[in-house]
Amino acid sequence: MLGICQIVPGPNIVNLAVCVGSKFAGVRGALGAVLGLMLGPSAIVILLGMLYEYYSYLPAVQGMLRGISAVGIGLIAGTGLKMMRNEFIYPPMLLVVAFTVIAAGYFHLGLGLVVLIALPMTLYLAWLKVGKL
Amino acid sequence: MSALIGLFLKLSAFSALAFGGINALLPALYELSVTQEHWLSTQTFADFFAIAQAAPGPNLMTVTLIGWHVSGVIGAVVASIAICWPSSIMVYFLQNYISNMRNLKKQKMIQFAASALAVGLVLGSAWGISSQINQNLQAYALTLATIIVVLFTRWHPLYFIGIGGALGVLGLI
Repeated sequence: MLGICQIVPGPNIVNLAVCVGSKFAGVRGALGAVLGLMLGPSAIVILLGMLYEYYSYLPAVQGMLRGISAVGIGLIAGTGLKMMRNEFIYPPMLLVVAFTVIAAGYFHLGLGLVVLIALPMTLYLAWLKVGKL
Repeated sequence: MSALIGLFLKLSAFSALAFGGINALLPALYELSVTQEHWLSTQTFADFFAIAQAAPGPNLMTVTLIGWHVSGVIGAVVASIAICWPSSIMVYFLQNYISNMRNLKKQKMIQFAASALAVGLVLGSAWGISSQINQNLQAYALTLATIIVVLFTRWHPLYFIGIGGALGVLGLI
């Protein structure tokens, strides 16, 4: 189930909540699960946003946020690299990864354009790897 | 009101394209909220990203904060709904379709294809957004160190956040 949530675009955790919630109670279950997932954290983060408005002038707060955001990018990149195992099993797939990384990261191409170009590439290579259907 | 509608429509489109989740979307969110619409400064965007990373809950809280900044609590609600509804509807209908697929090869193929796309988008996103968020060499060094430790250990993300925040408070970043 987790696999399916990761291949569909969109916020992964919300997708998972939709899958789990709908297993229990259909559309209402999905709605309930997503609301349950979102309400608490949204309230907390808005509260933090208000605190930020009052205290963001403090050098300590600015420094703390700079440190956290630098680490946050590292967490994202590190997790992304860890996800790459399957691509190493079939190295041609690294072409898709490399293309996407360079198009999005270096050339700053828009998300829609990158997906549009990379989707046929990745489907074709996956088709070659898995074999005729 | 028109800002709210624009926010809703753009974020809805992002939701349907975000292979790899919110992490893949960061440059698109930056482009929209800083470069195009001037809702936030680069600094505020980076700070919202940091707050969402440190706060408990889904990483889409960056989007919630952007919405809140644009139009208060209503903006937060609109932004959160916009980033969720297209993908949620998609996954609701696709889950049964994919898991009941008779053709296991086809199922494997779709998973393999989508995961490569997701990995590429996430890594490209991290690269793209690092040039907007990291302001000096120390910040890049901290990002690099984090990547290395993530690859070779199984530390909980909160340890990293704690260390990063502490280094920042000490004025080192």
